[in-house]
This record gives sequence, structure tokens and C-alpha cells, in this order.
Amino acid sequence: MSLTEIPAFARADGPDKVSGLGRYTADLTLTGMAHAAFRYADVPHGRIVELDTSPARAMSGVVAVITDADVPDIYLSAEIADRTLFARDVVRYEGEVVAAVAAVTPEIARAAAAAIVVRYEVLPAVTDIEAALGENSPLVHESWDSYATSGDVVRDRNTAMRSELHRGDADAAMATADVVVSGRYVADASHAVPIEPRAVVAEWQGDHLTVHTSTQVPFDARSRICETLELPTSRVRVIVPHLGGGFGGKCGAHFEPHIAALAKVAKRPVKLVFSRYEEFIAPDRRREGMIVDVATGVKHDGTIVARAAWLGIDNGAYMADATFFPQLAAMHVAGPYRTGSLKIEADLVYTNRQPSGSVRAPTAPQACWAIESHTDEIAVALDMDPIEFRRRNLVATGDVGPMGQVYDEIGALECLELATASAQASADQKPLGPDEALGVSMGWWPTFAVAAGAFAKMHADGTVQLVTGGQECGTGAVMTLRNLAADELGIDPELIELVYQDTAVAPEGPGASGSQTLLNHGRAVEVASQQIAAQLRELAADHLEAAPEDIVLAESKASVAGAPAASVAFTELVERAGAELLGTASVEMPEYPELPTSSTCIGDQGMGAWLAPQFSCHVARVAVDRDTGVVRVSEVHTAHDSGTIINLMGAHGQVEGGVLMGVGQALTEGTRYDDEGRQRNAGLLEYKLQTIADAPSIHTQFVEIATPNAGPRGAKGLAEAPNVATAGAIANALAKVIGQRVRELPMTAERVWRAQTADQSSTTTEQDQS
Amino acid sequence: MTLTIATSVDQAIALLASGARPIAGGTDLVVGARQGKAPLPDQLVAIDRIAELAELTSTDSETRIGAGVTHARLMTDGLIIERHTAIADAAALVGSPATRNVGTLGGNVMNGSPAMDTGAPLIVMGAEAELRSADGTRRVTMGDLWTGPGQISARDDELCTSLVIPAGGPGSGSAYVRLEYRRAMEIAVVGAAAAVTLSDGVLTSIRVALTAVAPVIIEIGDLDNLIGGAPDRALHGAVAAAARDQATPISDLRATDEYRRHTIGVMAARAVDAAARRAAGEQIPVPVNRSLGIGAAQ
Ligand SMILES: Cc1cc2nc3c(=O)[nH]c(=O)nc-3n(C[C@H](O)[C@H](O)[C@H](O)COP(=O)(O)OP(=O)(O)OC[C@H]3O[C@@H](n4cnc5c(N)ncnc54)[C@H](O)[C@@H]3O)c2cc1C
Repeated sequence: MSLTEIPAFARADGPDKVSGLGRYTADLTLTGMAHAAFRYADVPHGRIVELDTSPARAMSGVVAVITDADVPDIYLSAEIADRTLFARDVVRYEGEVVAAVAAVTPEIARAAAAAIVVRYEVLPAVTDIEAALGENSPLVHESWDSYATSGDVVRDRNTAMRSELHRGDADAAMATADVVVSGRYVADASHAVPIEPRAVVAEWQGDHLTVHTSTQVPFDARSRICETLELPTSRVRVIVPHLGGGFGGKCGAHFEPHIAALAKVAKRPVKLVFSRYEEFIAPDRRREGMIVDVATGVKHDGTIVARAAWLGIDNGAYMADATFFPQLAAMHVAGPYRTGSLKIEADLVYTNRQPSGSVRAPTAPQACWAIESHTDEIAVALDMDPIEFRRRNLVATGDVGPMGQVYDEIGALECLELATASAQASADQKPLGPDEALGVSMGWWPTFAVAAGAFAKMHADGTVQLVTGGQECGTGAVMTLRNLAADELGIDPELIELVYQDTAVAPEGPGASGSQTLLNHGRAVEVASQQIAAQLRELAADHLEAAPEDIVLAESKASVAGAPAASVAFTELVERAGAELLGTASVEMPEYPELPTSSTCIGDQGMGAWLAPQFSCHVARVAVDRDTGVVRVSEVHTAHDSGTIINLMGAHGQVEGGVLMGVGQALTEGTRYDDEGRQRNAGLLEYKLQTIADAPSIHTQFVEIATPNAGPRGAKGLAEAPNVATAGAIANALAKVIGQRVRELPMTAERVWRAQTADQSSTTTEQDQS
Repeated sequence: MTLTIATSVDQAIALLASGARPIAGGTDLVVGARQGKAPLPDQLVAIDRIAELAELTSTDSETRIGAGVTHARLMTDGLIIERHTAIADAAALVGSPATRNVGTLGGNVMNGSPAMDTGAPLIVMGAEAELRSADGTRRVTMGDLWTGPGQISARDDELCTSLVIPAGGPGSGSAYVRLEYRRAMEIAVVGAAAAVTLSDGVLTSIRVALTAVAPVIIEIGDLDNLIGGAPDRALHGAVAAAARDQATPISDLRATDEYRRHTIGVMAARAVDAAARRAAGEQIPVPVNRSLGIGAAQ
């Protein structure tokens, strides 16, 4: 039985979540529990001249108030140690935590936080990416060069990280082009917006700390607590109940240390539950704003000879996890094409805004929107069909990528052909109206392999529990990991339970981040399940008097190959064993060939991941109301090469969610700031997510290519890839209808309306090569 | 805080007289309090279980819609769709199914927001609000009721019991359209309602009102010179021009004043177009936004 033939089964967490019976962190109540509230900076850049917590302490019902003075003197963030848990001397964004209060009710806690007196000497706010790079710009971090760093971090003043990607001599190659197309694209910042605002409950028992928290990455949360509160790993336990979505927004560690420190002082459990407003302004997980300036030189026949680009990426006030963003964005600007010579420079820039951090496919949707818009503009300049232009230039198996990597078996071209054919078939059936068009975009996303572990237990009743370092954040670990184990063991996936995350129980792992659950935990689950299967075969061989290799495991029974009649149930075998059957696996990171990289400072961080990336093609059918600029997406046809599909239902769900998120990013989701860097639309009334009423019909096909160096059964992961290409496809359809480019993301109705009244085309220069 | 669940209009009025504030669906009042707009009042009287307020009755000359009638009912009620289509168009766009199931017409009207959706339709149909207090009953026109953003001329002790709307004559049609960036949970960026009467293909009456382009819902003045003309492009152009001329929009997160001024013209013209087509007998299902693809084709 192939994995995709395993019948669809309901998500184990589905009924709980849909019926309201599921328990989230905010639902936890512990005896004697106090409630936390934070005092935020409010001022995006200012020096603290007075901080007086006594009014809060004096309030009845307040059980603890803490500030920077009450926690160990530690600078954090692994890549650039540029901040403390609580603000010290200077605040650098409006949502920075200055103090925390615990009180007997949430209302008292909030009132007490508001009663704290903080006065600032207001400093000039840095809010413009390009201005921040100027010689005379105020610095977000005056003493930036004194911060400790790890890895290859290239910094200068407000530049938090610079990456360059060079291949060949791009200037010389550009001079040989027949046509050079250049343009600028600017993407606003946006947000992950999980439906569950984050929550933390911290409880001390003696010198041991238990933290219940809505994190995607429990082990990261644990290490941040240990690091900042100077605790040994063995004394900290992180437990994650149901998680109400994450989309990357709950990666990294957030407020677990603050609440743990508060609980210590309060001498009772403390709970923090964010409001939607806090969820917008405080976490260091915003999708970064980005400027892409790009020029591409092409021959009349469509051959790309050179690409030169500069990217400005808004890091915000502190380093969350973004040092790899310039590198990732540069890869997306290089694109999954044979681009000839390359010169891509990317600056990650400090500003007095909320920190940026990994949100689903960090940098990709924006960079892909820019480069796929640019790709269509090149095709237009060459008078070539955009699909044909892509067909001629897409990378294929054996090609050499921007990093010098030689691609494994990949299906980029197949994605293009399938998705465009599907969209065209639909347009043949229902012809495009005068205000409609189809737009195409390619996307790609790396496959990050790391070490991971898993335990598996088969109980006497034949059920199995899987314990991994993974986390179900909505992406379907509850489906795929069970599929893999079910297939190894020959049991119904319904008999398998995924144990939710608990760092005291599970082997360490990367959690639900970076499309890694199936890829990494899946490999470990396979091995752990294989160990149990081997034990079952041994036991059955003994019982059925056959060789273990002749034992077939199916339908919770073991039998000898060719003689299914004589079988023994797993329950009986476990009973014979006298104890539950255990599997324990830890799998290494796969070995990747060394890359002959020519980039100046792009390390090989994750670069092995680009050997067999995931590819996608999205084709959007778009209608434009020309008089108002309102854009509707009626259909999105997608094709994804994510390797082998382990659970088809889950895979469709991932693509559908990614597409809808992409539609939002394309049209309505953008964070607006005032001149000082405060968010103006930090709420769901003015930050416009797409609703189910806006959802296009989504038609998905999978290109299942057996890539040698992928994850379990050749699966590559499918969490972030569906969120990459949609905005680019919508942009290209929109440009076809209105005959103009909307150069800002999101492409709001007003921006579309304005684009129709002003020429915003890219510059096309014909170069005489005669 | 006290909350009294009233079962009759008289009981509610007595409580209002002693300082209580009415709460119907609570979708403005409670949500506003949560957002910090205004704290919940000390005394509340729930009026959602008063049977009289949920009545929807009609005679040949007028329709009386109880203040407690929900948007969900307005958008599906046969009489409203037939006679006062623009109100059904508007009700169908309010919030989400949950909002429409509890949100009421009376709450919409008495909340007095310049972005409310049923306001422009009520104006173009010449509706009046019936207000009752211990002192008696009076009727006010919508234009007299709304005095500013969130401000109404009704006294605190007055309960809105119903909206009374003249039945349109033969050949009349109405429509409401609004500019929206998404198809649910949206607030009007701008919106327009039109009510017209046609006789032998010639316009015999026209009223147009605008949402979210002034401190209150406004009616476009000086349209009488259009009477006698045909419902053609020239008419649409004239209405659009008048709408742009008379609107005084602001810039906020949802749109700039410039964009609002442009789109209010588009909405006004589309409302007139849809109203005239309905007046001419064309069946355009409620809401016009969906059937004509306002804000882009289906
Ligand atoms: C998610 C969401 C989406 C929304 N979308 C829209 C939309 O698209 N369009 C739109 O127009 N509105 C929208 N609203 C606003 C709101 O739903 C409507 O205005 C609704 O009609 C209010 O009715 P209610 O019964 O809930 O009013 P309530 O909140 O109960 O009352 C509103 C105000 O009117 C007073 N009041 C209520 N009834 C009476 C009465 N009979 N006499 C005197 N005073 C009274 C109350 O004291 C209060 O001041 C939305 C609200 C939410 C929460």
C-alpha cells in the first residue's frame, strides 16, 4: 500500500478544536494563580529618564512588579546579543517591555502596569530603510559594535546583517545584454496573525519551573528561559497544549522568561494572555518590509545574461532570528531560473519598529512577488509570452544554482506546465471577461534538514504513542507522522496518538518551524517505528516458526508471507513480550556536498537545503473593478513539487491555507506606521485578513518526484512553500488587466486605482550589441 | 452594573427614564466598550426580548419595521426585498452571519455612525424613526435624527420603537452599494443608496444618499433637475459628479479623502443604475454588491 492510499482520516485534534472542547494555554487555571500585564515602551525610541514602579507596587492586589533590575544581567539573541529581557536605558520600539506586573486579577494587573511612571528623553526614530543606511542617520543601537555575535554576521552601524551573492562578473555580463529591464518593488511589513493570541502560564515548584506556553518551538523556549534566568536545563519544563496556529509568529522564545521571573517573585503561578493588540505590537515576529531594486539583462531570445539587485530589509529594533533573511531574500531574487551572472546585495536594517522574525516562508512572498513581477516585465519587454519565457529559463535537474549547488531531481518545469494547463483549461471552459486575466508565478523554498529524535511505544492494547520534538501548530503533524508510523507498523493510523509537546518527555527537536516537522521528525518517527516493527517480527517469527524477514505486518497482525491465514495479533505479541514495545531514534542531519560558493558572506547556513528545494507554480485568475481598483481572485491553480506526498488531505489543506494567506498579503494585509514607527492598524478591524467569503477556488496538483536527498519517503515538506508564489501570480494577472504595475505590496484597491492614473512601468533600455 | 431584561416597551421606557441605557444586539455597545470607546453604562436594559420591537408590519401606504428586527431577517424578508430592496441590500452586507443574527436595525440607526449601512437606504426611502418615552411618541426624519458622528438628536430616555417607511409607488426601485475590500467583516469605505421612480422609462423621482463621506449620512441635494430624463449614462455621470461635489470625506486608514471622493461617485452612479434597473422590473438579487460584483466581477 502506498502512503497516499492510506484512507483519509480525521485530524485527531479536529473535533476538539471545532467543538470548543480543546484546551489552549489561556484555558489553564492553577490554584492561586496571578495574572500578568506588561508596561510597554509606547515611545518608539527614547532614553528612560525615570522609571518608578512604586505606584503599581502600592496598589492592592498587586503581587509582583519587575523590571530589568530584577532579572540576571544578560544580553540575548544568539546571533546578535542586542537586547535584554526588559528595556535597559533605551527603548527602541513601541512594544518593548519595560516592566511586568502580576496581580490577583487581569484588570488590576493592567491598571497597575498603567500606573507605573516612565519618562523618556525622546530620541529621533529611525523608520526609513534607506535613510537608516545614510552616514548621518541616527543609530538604533549606539553601541552596536560592542554586542556579541555568533556566526558570520557582517554588520555596520544600522546594518544588522549584509549578505552578497556574486556569480561571475555581473557588470560585464550586463553590458552584453540586448535589453535591460530595471524596476523597484516595495513591500510593507505584515503579520502572522494566529487566531490564538499567545499565552503563558508559569509555575515554580521549589527550584523547578514548569511553563505552559503557546509556542511552536518548545525547546527554543526552554533554552531562552535557561539562558536568561540562568537555570539548568533539567529544572525547566515546557509544555504546549493545543496551539491556535502560529504561522511562524510563535517561533522563537517570547515572554516565557518574563512570566517565569514574575512567578518567582510573586511566589505563585502567573498567567499572561495577550490581547489582539498586544499580539500585533509586542512579539519579535513581524513579516519584514522590503525594498527590491533589480535590473536584469536579457538577450532577444530570452536568455538571461545578468541580474543585479539591492535589497533593503527592515529588521526592526532587535535581532530576533533574521540574520539569514538577506541570504534567503537574495536567493529568491536570484530565483529558480538560469540567471547568468549575479550581483545581489542585501542589507538587513535596524529601525525603530517591531523586530522582524520568521513568519511563514520568511522573505519569500515579498521577494518572490517582486521578482516574478519583474519576470513578467522582462517578458513584456521582449514581447514574449511570460510562460514561454519562464519555460526557457527555469532550472532543471543537474543545473547549477546561484550558490554553486547542483540540483538533485527537481520538478520546477513540471509545476509550470501543470498549473498553467489547469488554469488554461478552466479559462477555456469559462472564458476570461474583459476585466479578467491569468497571472503566473513560480516559487521555491528550501528544505532544511536538521537532527531530530522520536520515541515510539506500542502498548499492550495495540495502540501506539509517538513522542517527538515536533509540535502540532496546525500544519498536520497529527496526520503525517501517524501516516508514516502506521505504514511502518501495519496498523490503522487511528490507533496512533501523537503526544503533545513536553520538553521533559520528548527528545529535543526543532519544533514546528521551517517546514521541518515531516522532514526531520518524520525521519525519526520512521526509524523508531521500524524498531518496533523489528521487535514485532522477532516475536512473531518465534510464534509462527518462521524467519523474521518473512513476517508481514498488516492490520495489526503478523503473518508469514504467503500464508496470511495463520496470523498473530500485535496485542498478543506485546503480551508475550511482557512489556510495551519501545522504539527510540535520533537521526542525524543528512550530509550535503560542500558548496563552491562565491558569495562574500553568505555562509552555508541552510544552503544544503537548496540542493532539492520545493518548487511551486501558482496561476491566479483575477478580476479587477477598474473604477475602484478592487481586485478579486476567483481561482488559483497550483502545482507543487514537495517530493512525495505523505497525506494528500493534509497536503491540500496546506496549499489552500497558504494560498489564502498569499491572497491577503497580495491585496489587503499590510502594517501601516506613523512617522515614529508606531503601528496604526494593530487590530483586526483595520488589518484586513482575507475571510472565507473571499477565498478563491483552489485547484492543486502535486509533482511527486523521487528526490534522493529529501526526507522520509522522499517528502520535502509543505508548510511554507504554498505561501510563496500567490502574490506574484495575482500581481501579474492584475498588471495584464490594467496595463500598469502596482509597485507596492499589498496591492490595495487604492494603490491599484492610483496605478491606473500614473505610469509606473519599469525602465527598459535597449542596448545596441551590433 | 445592572442588566434588566425588559419584556415590554413600557417597562423599557420606565427604565430609560431612570437612567438605563438600552442594549439590543450589543454588537456596537459591547464591542465598543471592549475597544475602549466608552465604558459600559451602569444600568442596562435588554430590549431584544420585547416582542413588539420585533414586529414587521405593512399597509398599502407604509411599512413599519420594529427597531428590534435583525439584519438577518431584513435581508431575507419578502416584503423588504420587494418594497425596500436597498435596506435588504444593506442588511445583507452587515458584518458576518453572527453579526446579522443579533444586530438590529434600531441599534444601527441609534448608534448613529456615518458608516452605518442601513442609514443611506432609510434616507432615500423617506423613513422616519418613531421614538417613545414616558412623555409620549414622536417621529423624526433620519436627517433630523443624526447630528454628528455617533451623535443623535433623540433624548436618552427615548426608545426607538420602529422605523416607518412610505411604500414606494409603482415603478419604484432602490439599491444600496458599498465599496468593500473584502466580502465579510467589512466596514463601508464609502457607500451609496438610491431610490428612483420610473414612468414610461422616464425618471419621475430620484433620491441618493451617501455613506461614510461626511460626519453623518447625507442626502445629495439638487437632483430635481434630473427628473424627466432617462436612466442613462448621462444620469449616472450627473449623479456621480453631484456626489463627489457634495461629499466632504476624510482620510483615514481605510482610504484617503481623494480616493473616497472618487469612489463615492462610482458608488452613487452604480446605486442609481441598479435602482433604475429594478424600477424597470429587472430582478437583481440582494445584495447588489454580490449580484453585480461591486468591487469586481464575480
Ligand atoms: C463584527 C462586526 C461587524 C459589523 N459590521 C457592520 C456593517 O457591515 N455595517 C454596519 O452598519 N454595522 C456593522 N456593525 C455594527 C453593528 O453590528 C450594527 O450597527 C448593528 O445594527 C447594531 O445593532 P445592535 O442591536 O447590536 O445595537 P446595540 O449595540 O445593542 O446598540 C447600539 C446603540 O444603539 C442603542 N440602541 C439600540 N437599540 C435601541 C433602541 N431601540 N432605541 C434606542 N437606542 C437603542 C444602544 O443603547 C447603543 O447605544 C458591525 C459590528 C460588528 C461587531
